[in-house]
Amino acid sequence: MTATDSQDEFTPATVAELSRFMRENSTDGRRSIVPVGGRTALNYGHSTPEDSLRVSTAQLQRVIDYPARDMTITVEAGIRMDELAKTLKAENQRLPVDVAQSQRATLGGVIATNTSGPRRFGHGTMRDYVIGISGVDASGRHFKAGGRVVKNVAGYDLCKLMVGSLGTLAIITQVTLKLRPTVASSALVWMIFPKYASIDEVLESLLASQTRPISVEVLDPKAADHVSSDARCQLPNQSPVLIIGFEGSDSETQWQIETLEQECAEFKPAATHVLNRKDADSVWKSLTEYATWSDDPLTFQANLRPSKAIEFIERATKLGVAVQAHAGNGTVVGHLSDEASTLESCQSILDELRQIARASQGNLVVLRCDDDWKAALPVFGEPEDAWPLMQRVKAELDPNGILSPGKIWKGHQ
Amino acid sequence: MSLSRDLIQRFQQIVGDEGVLYNPEELLVYECDGYVVEKKVPDVVLFPTCQQHVVDIVKTCNEFDVPFLPRGAGTSLAGGTLPVGGGVMITLTRMKQILEVNMRDRYAVVEPGLVNVHLTQHLAGSGYHYAPDPSSQGACTIGGNVATNSGGPHTLKYGVTVNHVLGVEAVLPDGSVVQLGGPVEGSPGYDLTGLFVGSEGTFGIATRVYVRITRDPVAYRTMLGVFETVHDATQAISNIVGAGIVPAALEMMDQGIVEALEAAFHFGFPLDAGAVLLIEVDGLEVAVNEEAQRIVNLCEQSGAREVRKANTAEERQLLWKCRKQAFGAIGRLSPSYCTQDGVVPRTKLPEILEFISESGKRHDIRIVNVFHAGDGNIHPILLFDERDKEQIERVLKSSDEILAKCLELGGSVTGEHGIGVEKIDFMSKLFEPDDLAVMADVRKAFNPMGRCSPQKMLPTAGACGMEHIEKDHPGRRAAM
Ligand SMILES: Cc1cc2nc3c(=O)[nH]c(=O)nc-3n(C[C@H](O)[C@H](O)[C@H](O)COP(=O)(O)OP(=O)(O)OC[C@H]3O[C@@H](n4cnc5c(N)ncnc54)[C@H](O)[C@@H]3O)c2cc1C
Repeated sequence: MTATDSQDEFTPATVAELSRFMRENSTDGRRSIVPVGGRTALNYGHSTPEDSLRVSTAQLQRVIDYPARDMTITVEAGIRMDELAKTLKAENQRLPVDVAQSQRATLGGVIATNTSGPRRFGHGTMRDYVIGISGVDASGRHFKAGGRVVKNVAGYDLCKLMVGSLGTLAIITQVTLKLRPTVASSALVWMIFPKYASIDEVLESLLASQTRPISVEVLDPKAADHVSSDARCQLPNQSPVLIIGFEGSDSETQWQIETLEQECAEFKPAATHVLNRKDADSVWKSLTEYATWSDDPLTFQANLRPSKAIEFIERATKLGVAVQAHAGNGTVVGHLSDEASTLESCQSILDELRQIARASQGNLVVLRCDDDWKAALPVFGEPEDAWPLMQRVKAELDPNGILSPGKIWKGHQ
Repeated sequence: MSLSRDLIQRFQQIVGDEGVLYNPEELLVYECDGYVVEKKVPDVVLFPTCQQHVVDIVKTCNEFDVPFLPRGAGTSLAGGTLPVGGGVMITLTRMKQILEVNMRDRYAVVEPGLVNVHLTQHLAGSGYHYAPDPSSQGACTIGGNVATNSGGPHTLKYGVTVNHVLGVEAVLPDGSVVQLGGPVEGSPGYDLTGLFVGSEGTFGIATRVYVRITRDPVAYRTMLGVFETVHDATQAISNIVGAGIVPAALEMMDQGIVEALEAAFHFGFPLDAGAVLLIEVDGLEVAVNEEAQRIVNLCEQSGAREVRKANTAEERQLLWKCRKQAFGAIGRLSPSYCTQDGVVPRTKLPEILEFISESGKRHDIRIVNVFHAGDGNIHPILLFDERDKEQIERVLKSSDEILAKCLELGGSVTGEHGIGVEKIDFMSKLFEPDDLAVMADVRKAFNPMGRCSPQKMLPTAGACGMEHIEKDHPGRRAAM
């Protein structure tokens, strides 16, 4: 073990060292292992056993290969997202997935938690960018899947399996990403409406819009107040807010703003603010950070049909929840208010909202809450049809339940 | 293997007499798919019309311990539907309904036997389409696309099948039904939908597919770049991608293909050009001209003789028709042909194309090229006469050499056609034993008995069943 190690943590210097360590652990001791990257999302999921050993990717952060003209990059999984973004920017490229706390978050962690933000409407999520992956499993097998080319169907697509696997299947060690060019400009149109019903009408009309938004966000007044003050932009937030994001060449962005304003006129927004350049950047950033902002007792994410988002938001706000919705995708992030200070009150709010989500084949997941509460909360919601099959995948890859046991399915290896 | 009368009767009870084929002459049609080098007739072919049929068939196969495999339209170019070791073929072409189209939530639910283009035709006029557009889209099924993770010319910008599949309902190899994903984006737990896509029929049978539908672009610009040499054309591709431009489609056709297309369609292609690029940009009207002009400039800097523009919608359609039917035109060049499906990093296209040309010379085989250039996905077509056994040997040698070169350049041996049985020997060149062992473990979770699509995708030690395959008809009549 190297100098950074303690009883509770091990930081391998190389993948070979990690692999050896995992192999030994799987035959000798079988201590449970929790992979850690930037430690920004360790609270996500059920608690893991207290005596788990953390295995950190802090020393695995090299750029392995960056053939910029092929628009792909291969990096080690411990690289910080800001570092990655800086490297890509030097070649006018980017990974267009929004990540909160990007100065700390690592690529491996982002993949394991399947993090995304407002731009997912236009650019998709990590699954759309990871084209090659390597990892070390619980028995020390160092494996890879995919490759370094943008199109490839050889073998099973374990990249998809790793995205969102929450450290339960393998420690991700290396990743190849497909990249996108940077854009010349981006802008946000911030509109407030007296009623949610009007926003619902706009959302419906967007389906036939001449424009091609990159993000479609809805905020309740509380969330809007937070975002506008966090971004240091004085934006109206006394009633529900709809924010549409555009990217492209200057003329493309400009044309879309004007077109959107015309298209939305009939729905009578109470006010419209166009955010360009610096202002746009800081609001994008605040929208990205929103999920991690809060001292409130609990943060959840509901995944819904986009058409059900507004109904859900209205109910949630009545229950005191502050909400941001990636409304085009049907993804709603909510912070419960301080008033819901007991487990019982949280439970009753979540139960009600979960039922609304489930009524249209959606679900509700707790992103963050006090560890003590997790034992009593269905963090990932009610059992899904596919869970037994998922548990079989887990059991095949980690038969002794070494990697993050119980993280997704409480009580299950 | 020959199935008992008893078992055939059980199948007749499930799908009716009209849903069962077992006479040898009827089965002959199913001895191969688009990959015709290896053949094997199944013992019986079944045509379920609903999910319950599939469940009952699969459970019966388990009860009688016989292998089974799904088949769509049979356009696979890798022998994905070859019933290695015989057994039951479950053909899904009678399950072809569009079950739901939900515009507001931007998805459609379809049965697996639906022909790809029928979905887009169904959506015509709505402002939406189904983005993955394999060149075989007039015949292949969405279930087959899911199983092979198909691409197409426009998947350069829009992404391949997996980027458009939200969920799959499948009958697992033990006969149980599971829903993976669904109409809502994001479900707790592993992304088994993403894993199922591209599993080539080895994880079970998709009986329902939830797909994303995509907005139609507002405007297109379609161009034809004309180059003196293949080298200049591939250089232009490399320069376009290197400049950070992602066109909607970027396809290359060399002189041999252009000649055949011109004879077939009389488009007015330049017959003396070394290669042409079919390039399309799409998006907003305000943006397409600018982007098209950048591409024209890059082509000219790379030595293009001229860049023509499709001036009307009809001209655009004709260009695409030529491209998508390129394989039909090859019959004019040669009695038989074999298409390969390699991938290289896009900047390595000049190198691999040169290698292909040298390989052709070395083995005295004529090779023409038409391919998804923007993705680095090559499709060299090796022309030959299948009556000449010695020539076939040379074709196979040249094919293997080209694929090995793709690997050497950091690429892959298949970009979209799949491993099937054709490329199974390459798996151990692409992957280490631990990689394959992990993949085998994952398969075990879905298909523990190995009865569903046996001997596909992964090389299995001591594989039995392969001895049934007759290597008889080497005219690998494959296509893009
Ligand atoms: C002229 C021509 C052009 C082509 N162009 C392209 C192209 O541009 N891009 C491209 O990617 N491919 C292309 N192909 C290859 C082929 O069309 C695709 O692989 C297609 O997806 C196969 O669909 P299918 O319905 O014919 O499937 P089949 O050939 O019947 O089966 C293919 C595989 O899918 C499995 N399968 C079928 N249905 C199901 C199901 N319901 N559940 C689970 N597994 C199933 C089968 O077992 C098999 O492994 C082309 C082929 C031809 C002949």
